[in-house]
Amino acid sequence: MLVMRRRAGESFLVGDIEIQVLEVGGRRVKLGIRAPESMAIVRREVQITESENLAAAESVSRGVIDSLLSRLGWR
Amino acid sequence: MPRIQTECFGEIEFLESSVFHFPLGLPGFEDERAFVFLDRPGTAPLLFMQSLATPSLCFILLPILAVDAAYELTLDEEQAALLGLSELRPRIGEDVLCAAIVCAARQPDEVPTANLLAPVVVNFRQGVGMQAIQPGARYSHRHPLFGAEEAVPCS
Repeated sequence: MLVMRRRAGESFLVGDIEIQVLEVGGRRVKLGIRAPESMAIVRREVQITESENLAAAESVSRGVIDSLLSRLGWR
Repeated sequence: MPRIQTECFGEIEFLESSVFHFPLGLPGFEDERAFVFLDRPGTAPLLFMQSLATPSLCFILLPILAVDAAYELTLDEEQAALLGLSELRPRIGEDVLCAAIVCAARQPDEVPTANLLAPVVVNFRQGVGMQAIQPGARYSHRHPLFGAEEAVPCS
């Protein structure tokens, strides 16, 4: 992984995309991103949640509910 | 009483008061804006979050405190505003219903997991809910669920 030190107000480029450090707080960093509108910018945890939700919805069936209850020792 | 077709449970009746509105949908299901919360005979403590629009869409949930009795729910200002709450640390079970989505198993030999990173949080007084992703790396999106017998150490 490339590691770079930046101060508030400084920016860097990933291809054509500009990422600027706007503000540095105690535990949080505020970033500004300049990218083509067609490019999806998604927070990593939202992407993780999306794929987890899709897998969870896919996993549900009547049989699965019964085996889940017995596997968890609740039946 | 209104009725709904579900894939898991066939046609069922539900109470209007058990319908919750999700203004943002869920990540991956942004168009699903209304869910009904069901408990079925003999399936406690599991809960089911059934889409009103899509009979085949149903999530298995576990009350978050049944998975982790010490779970600490934290909301940011935007999440609290969407849920109509003034409190950023609402009390689970008193101010909000908070539950984890269960992924039963991807493979037959896999352990079922619960998503503690992104709990479903519902303000049941206002009938509004969302999946409130938690800050930081404290909670896992694949928290393994073990059976009670597996948790007992050998003596």
